[in-house]
Formats: sequence, C-alpha cells, structure tokens
Amino acid sequence: MNKVTRRSFVAGIGAASVLPAASALSEEPPASPPSSHTPAVTQAAPPAIYLFFNAGEVAFIEAACERLIPADEHGPGALAAGVPNYLDKQLGGAWGAGERLYRSGPWTAGSASQGYQLPFTPGELFHQALRAIIHDLDSRGTPFSKMTADAQDAYLKSLEGGDTDLNGVPSGVFFGMLLQMTVEGFFSDPVYGGNRDMVAWRMIGFPGAYADYYESIDRHGVKFEREPMSLGEDGERHIHPDPNIPAHL
Amino acid sequence: MVQRLKEVDVVVIGVGMVGSIVAKELAAAGYKVVGLERGEARFTVPQFQSPAIHDELRFDIRKALMQDNTREAVTFRNQSAEKALPIRRWESFLPGTGLGGSMVHWNGQTYRFQANDFELATRTRERYGSNFLDPDVTIQDWGVTYSELEPHYDRFEYLLGTSGKAGNIKGQIVPGGDPFESPRSREYPTPPQKEHYSGAMFRKAASSLGYHPFPQPSSNLSQPYTNPEGVKLNACVFCGFCERYACEHFAKSVPQTIILPVLLANPNFELRTGCQVQRINLDSTRKKATGVTYIDAAGKEFEQPASLVITSSFALNNVRMLLLSRIGAPYDPATAKGVVGRNYAYQTMSSVASFFDEDVFINPFMASGASGTLINDFAGDNFDHSGLGFIGGSFIGAVNTNGRPIQYHPVPPGTPSWGKGWKDAVVKHYNHTVMFSLHGSSVSTRQNYLDLDPTYKDAWGQPLLRMTFDFPQNDLKMAAYVTAKAVEIGKAMGAKQVAGSPRKAPYTTTQYQTTHNTGGTVMGSDPSTSVVNRYLQSWDVPNVFVIGASVYPQNASWNPTDTLGALTYWAIDAIKNKYLKNPGRLVSA
Amino acid sequence: MTRRALSSTPRRVEAARALTLAGLMMLAAHGIARAETTGPASATVCEGCHGLHGEGNAPAGIPRLAGQSAEYLSKQLEDYASGDRANPVMQNFAKALSHADIEAVATYFSTADAPRTVIPSTASVPQLALGRRLARQGSEAKRVQACDSCHGPDGIGVLHAAPYLAGQSVQYLTSALTSFQLRTRKNDPGKLMTSVAGQLSASDIAAAAAYFSSLPTGTP
Repeated sequence: MNKVTRRSFVAGIGAASVLPAASALSEEPPASPPSSHTPAVTQAAPPAIYLFFNAGEVAFIEAACERLIPADEHGPGALAAGVPNYLDKQLGGAWGAGERLYRSGPWTAGSASQGYQLPFTPGELFHQALRAIIHDLDSRGTPFSKMTADAQDAYLKSLEGGDTDLNGVPSGVFFGMLLQMTVEGFFSDPVYGGNRDMVAWRMIGFPGAYADYYESIDRHGVKFEREPMSLGEDGERHIHPDPNIPAHL
Repeated sequence: MVQRLKEVDVVVIGVGMVGSIVAKELAAAGYKVVGLERGEARFTVPQFQSPAIHDELRFDIRKALMQDNTREAVTFRNQSAEKALPIRRWESFLPGTGLGGSMVHWNGQTYRFQANDFELATRTRERYGSNFLDPDVTIQDWGVTYSELEPHYDRFEYLLGTSGKAGNIKGQIVPGGDPFESPRSREYPTPPQKEHYSGAMFRKAASSLGYHPFPQPSSNLSQPYTNPEGVKLNACVFCGFCERYACEHFAKSVPQTIILPVLLANPNFELRTGCQVQRINLDSTRKKATGVTYIDAAGKEFEQPASLVITSSFALNNVRMLLLSRIGAPYDPATAKGVVGRNYAYQTMSSVASFFDEDVFINPFMASGASGTLINDFAGDNFDHSGLGFIGGSFIGAVNTNGRPIQYHPVPPGTPSWGKGWKDAVVKHYNHTVMFSLHGSSVSTRQNYLDLDPTYKDAWGQPLLRMTFDFPQNDLKMAAYVTAKAVEIGKAMGAKQVAGSPRKAPYTTTQYQTTHNTGGTVMGSDPSTSVVNRYLQSWDVPNVFVIGASVYPQNASWNPTDTLGALTYWAIDAIKNKYLKNPGRLVSA
Repeated sequence: MTRRALSSTPRRVEAARALTLAGLMMLAAHGIARAETTGPASATVCEGCHGLHGEGNAPAGIPRLAGQSAEYLSKQLEDYASGDRANPVMQNFAKALSHADIEAVATYFSTADAPRTVIPSTASVPQLALGRRLARQGSEAKRVQACDSCHGPDGIGVLHAAPYLAGQSVQYLTSALTSFQLRTRKNDPGKLMTSVAGQLSASDIAAAAAYFSSLPTGTP
C-alpha cells in the first residue's frame, strides 16, 4: 500500500496531488460504525516494539513512567497509555538525534537561567544516564521493576533532587527530561505512540484535533461532551500512528 | 565566488509582516523590490490546514514554525559579569521564520500604545518629578507622537480587520470599550469576538470592583471581512490553536490572509526564499549602502545591489544585522557609549490562577488567541504611581487562549509535580480553572543590551547575537503590585482558591514569557541616544531604514504588533513621499 | 419545460420545485402506514420521504438523516420553520411540529439504525480527485479550507460543529452548497458555509458533492 507520510507530504509542497492523509480509500466497507458519536476503537494494548531502548532500559522506563503517572480511579496510567512507546519513538527518531537543538560548543555549565548546556542529544543523554542508573540498581541488588511503589518513588525522588553524576548527566537533568517526555507522551496526539486511544484526553475532557467551537463557546458553563478526536484518525475512527512527524513545517 | 546581481531599487530583508507591507507599497508605487526571506514559502493551503496543524507536540513543544535554532541561536546572560551561553532550545521567546514571519503564528492580540507611552520620559518627569526613577533606567521619548501615528494605526487595523469595540472615538468615551485608550478616529473594522465564559466571569467581577472591563481587540476575526486591499478573511471558530500555530480557516490576520495575494501578483516584486542575508554592504565612505550580501539555500553567495535597503526582520535580527554590517556605533555598557544594542527591553509577565469547584465548567480549549476580557486600570500610567516607587503597569485579563494539555494543566501551589497527587489535581482542576494574564511593561536600563557574541557562531560562521538582560527592580515592583490587584479580582469571581504568581528575578530563558523583544535600534530625536530618526531612517546610513520593534526605546503594557504596524505605514509614508522623491537625510542630526 | 423557460427560472425556485415534486411523489409511492412506524408519531410524516429509518432517497435529493447529530437536526427544523433555511416543503412540515416534537424527531433519527450504504458514484476520476483535494486540503486559489477540518475525517461529522457529509445524496449536497452560495440558506453559524460556498465554482461544488457522496456511511 502506498502510504503517504507526512515527511513526503512536506517535501512535496507545490505538487498538486500530495495529500496529508495516511490511509488510502478502501473498497471494503469498514467493520465498525463510522460516527463521531461512537468511541474510538479501543483495542487491547499490543506489546510495544522497542527500537531505541534495550530490554534492561525498558524495564526501568516502563516502571518509572508508571510511577510518574500511575493508573488510578481516574483512568489508565503512563504504561497503559503507551508513554514508554512514545519515549522510545521520540528518542530513536529525529528529536532524539538532536532536532531543534543548537549543538555547537564550547560547553560550559551555566546558571539555571541559561538552560540546557550539555553536549548530549536527548538520545545520548538517556542512554548515558540509564547505563549509570541500571548499573547502580544492579549493585543494590533489586531491579527497579521489582521494588515496592514507595521504594520506586523514593529512588525517583533521589534522582530528581540529587546532583548525582550519571555518566556526565546530572540526575536532576535526566529526571526533568524523563518527566517532561512522560507528560508529552501522556497528553500528545496518539499518532506519536502515546495517549493510546486518547485515554488522557478523555480523562480531562480535551476534545483533540478537530476543534470548531463557534457555537459551543456561547454555552457558558455547560460541560462540553464529545469523544476526543485524533489528527491521525480516519473515517472509521482508526488511528494511524505516525511518530516521524518532523519538528518543522 | 560571489555573484553580483543586477541592481534593483529596494531590497527588503525579511518578508514577514513588515516586509510584506513595505514591499507591497513600494512595488505598487512602481519600484523594483526584491524580498529576501531566510525561510520557506508557505500558504494557508496546504501548509496551515487542520487537523495536521492541531498538533500540540509538534508546534507548541517542538516549535515547528520557529526560526531554525540549530543553525542560528542567540546567546544569553543575566549580567555582564557572566559568560553568555547559547540558548540551545527556544523557550522564553520564539522567533519566527518563513514567508509571513512570526505573524503567521501570533495570537492576534491587537492593542495600540497610549499617547503617554510615546513621550514616556517627558511625561514621567512632569507627573512624578526628575528623581522618581531609578538612576539606571534609560527610558526615552520616541520622537513621534500618538496623534501622528493615529491614522497609521487605523490603516493597519483596517488592513487586518481587527475585531473590537472602541472606547474613545475622537475624544468621546464610548461605553463597552476601553475608556483609557487614546482617541481613535473610528470604530474597529469588525465587532468584538464572542466572549468566553471566563471573560464573562472576569467582566462581572472587575466591574463589581469599579474597574473598566472591555473585550480584547482580536485579529482573529468575528465575521467575514474584505480588507481595503480586496483580500477576504473568514470568521474564527475558536479552535484554541492560535499562538504557535497557523490558521487553517483564513480567519487570522497574517500576511497570507491580508496582503500577500496582492504583493505576489505584482511583477515589480521578486520573492527569494531560503536566502540568509549576511550583511548590508557599504561604500568606502561607510555612509551609503550599496546593497546586501546573501547566501542561498544551496550555499551560493550573492551580492544584490540596491539603492535602498530596508531591514524588516525580527527585532533581534535587525539589531544583529546592523552590528554585522557595522552600521552605527555598538553600545558598550561599561562606557555608556554607542547606540546599537542599547535599550533592549522585553515584557514583564505575571499570572493569577483561580480554581473553581468541579461543577463549574470553563472549557478552556474553546478560544481564539485574543478572545479575552481585560482591564487597563493598572496599565501604563493609567493610575497614580505616587509613592509606589515604579512606573509602568500591566493589562489584566481573563485571557484564555487554549486548553492544550501538554502545557496547560493548571494545579494549585503545593501540588506534587508527579505521581498520584499530581494526577488527582490535574483531573480536578483542568476544566475548572481561570488563568489571568498580567501583561507588564518593561523599562530599559543601562545594563540590559544586545551585542555580538565573542565565542559562538551561526552555521554561516557569523557571531551570534548576545543578549544581556535581567528584570529591573522597577518592573519587579510593578509586577508585585498588579498581581495583588489581580488576585482581588479572582476572589471577586467567587473562586475557591486564588494563587498569584508575580514575576520574580532572575529572568530565565527556560520559561515562555512572550516574544516581545524590543529595542536595540532605538528611534529618537537625538543621535547620541538613538540609532534611527523618527522616520526609522539610520542616522549613519541614510539609505538604510530599520523597521521593527527594535526601534522601541522601551516596551509598554501591551503587545507590540499594532504599534509596529502603525510605524510601518508611518515609515512607508516618509519613504514614498519624502525620501524617494529626494534621497538624503530626512532629519538633520 | 422549454430550454428558454428553464434558463429564465431562478435556480432556487427550480431546486425547491424539484424537491417538492419528489416529496409528493415519495408520499404517493410509499404511503407509509402508521402501523409500520418505529419512531415517535411525529416522525411518521418524515418517514414518507426520508425513509423508515431515515435512510433518505439519494436520487431524489432527499437527505439521509440516520445517525445525524440530533442537535443539528433540531436546528435545521427550527430554521426551516423560521425561514432562515428556505424550503417551502420543509417549512410546512417544520411549522407543524412543536419544539417537543422537533426534539423527539431529531433524537429518533440521530439514533436510527440505517443499513450500511455506499452510493454508486457516476463521477469521473478527475472529479472525485478534485473533491478529495477540496475535502482534505482546500484550495489556496479559491481561499477555502479543507472541508474535513470542520466536517471530520472522511466527512463523518463532528459533534457540536458540523454534520456528516459521507454517503449523503449528491443532489442534496449540491443543492445545500448552492443554497449557501445563493444565500437562500442563511442559518450557517458565523457565515462559515456562506463564505466557503461563495468562493466555489459550480464544478467545485459538483466535485465536493460527488466525493463526499461516494464515501461509505451507516452501520453494517
């Protein structure tokens, strides 16, 4: 099937026939009702295929993300929402390789006002830091995924507040990036591999990428009720993942 | 090997808002104009279409529409004593790029400055005395008055079709508008946008406290509109993807929807994209520009000769262009000598969060970038500053522009930053919080300035711009004062909990605080304290004009775009009717 | 009618005449008995033209109602009654309904279970391609945005915003866009559809209608 990716769409600007959609028109009638009133197809989460993280890193990342945004009575946590998958695709893609990062040296530690000043790309930073973390956990005897929730939280807090050097990455910088990307993975459009079936949007009532509120804005104080909609869904409400959308137009 | 091209009448550096308007006017007047734009061409169809454009990760977090910082950044330090380091990711301010410039992804908030702002130094002295200001504050008069600019404000607003309610028409106060505004000659071109629920709540509360709420002037239009150039816009549908995003509905006033169709149809104008201007070239007298040198996307170097050069790129880039071209004496804070880079200012942003019960539905995701409700009671010099120890102020408003959840998930102070407690608070407060924006003025000081960095370079090998800035005490005092006032409005709204966040030092580049960078090529009547004269013409090189917010001597309580639009038409008027008829200095030094 | 008479008759009157004629023919042909009705009593008369389950009659230009947003259906009925949406046939039917009737009818059709349909398309490939381009991208030259931005992916509709277009009658979609263009239909919020339709040519309208009509709709 000839899939038109957003990258080829962007590259083809000016060509008349390039279209932004990912799916080709199907001849077969689809199996499920194509109405914007019905919930998007919620499938049992297939196991994520990790391309960036190795098995040891996966074990830590999955457990850590789930502590940052746990499953509870409000809804699924980071793990069921596919946040580790989001991280994997971002860190293994253009963003992880340094997209949108000014990378020239020299590198000097600066003040807090001066922001990130390390030479690592996000991908390098994660691999470096995780290597140190896993080594540290191995030396303590208990893998992170086998700790109690309280113990996991305590460990994460020690990373958050500490200045521990993780192969050149201050632990607070690693933790900050992990938390930031976890929130991104939870709340971004599901095309990126997280926010599976828009569980996070449904939890807070954010309607998503289709957004015409011309009449609704007049209904002051009335709760807006509509299924969330992804920018990657088709007429059958199937969401087509597209983690390689570039950080430029 | 530099290729020398055929001479043209005018080169415009940067084809954003200013460049598009300047080029259109000069091309229409019969001049051959070349517009050099570093970024790419883009249009409402297909590049701005939804749902693809409604992608918070891509456009908000990853800054997809912004200037390519991998090749050109800005270095920063709070004080001269520190070493400036590169801003490796844009956060605090977000320079744009591409055809249409940053106007493509602005919020559409369209305010005029007040008459007082243009003569700030004189009027402050008159009202509060010569010793009122801190000695290192360097505010100045602009050299142009509000009433001189009024017809140009009007022209710009009618070009955009701005939606609003006038508060003062020719001196007559009009109910429903801002009673503090300086007189305008007529109503806005289109009526105000619909009011958001949070704005309605704010309006009631502010009125109950004796303040004067009015609808935020918005260039996300309330109804279909055809502007004087014959270009049509549609009504905005409050999609909540305004700032940092381009509008798919032809409803936001951006160059593509207000003027580019006319400009691009004129054969007198030639657009060249992917062209990075390296410098403005001068002759041996260094008092005349001969044109510019630029490098195209393939790395080829060109010299484009021209009789007139207009630098109309982003404020920071205008300053850098003059420094790289060695036009004007660079400012040195140690000696207080020089002018280029002097009087850099910004915006002093504070906020207030009002938390409501879970049966109060705010629906923050329904919004335009400018569908707020505001008061100017604590902006500018609209209140008596005697005894307060600062000048300036903020507009205060329920300015709800979006509910995009990666960045917008307000929680009360003391909420943990992750875990169950965080998740509980996010669910509890997401749809039940009203955020106020406190948009504060920024005085210029001796210590805040721009120059060229000694260490870091762009991909073309040229020094990056270096920014030295921290919030002056004046502005921090102002922020504390207005925040306290705004908290009272939150309480009057009946919120369960109100949390004020006044701006604190030090200024950090890691938190977004507007892209309202001003100054560095200040306009004025005195060449020893300004870089351009009142017509935005360089004192040093009369055939160079600098049009951008870089000409502001300090920044006021409102967003800079409307004033820049007025100055653009003001300068074009001087260029067409004075300069081009008789090239030379328009003001004697 | 002679060609001369056709060309001198305003298009909106022609459109109304065609629908009136079709409507009357429907009632005569189907003669739905009360006993066969599955919805509220007030929906009986609708079913005469719009079908027992709101499936519509595509060739007659009678729109499908099944699964359409109840909010949208209510508004159309109110607007037919007031004349904001001009249609002599629908105006009479709408005026005969109370507000409670309108709510009942709208709710009934919004949840009606109409069978899966794919209307066979007689449109040419270039016409469908133009329609698809307008639907998914819009047109810079015509200054119209992608239809899908409000009408949803593959025209399935977006609740509280815009009705579904997928699988709708070509004739109906054409007449709806034309009536926006001619301003006989004035009930579009924010003049959004009037602005869009005002920019489109007759062949653009035909292409968009053909494309959306060709998309599948309904429940299997």
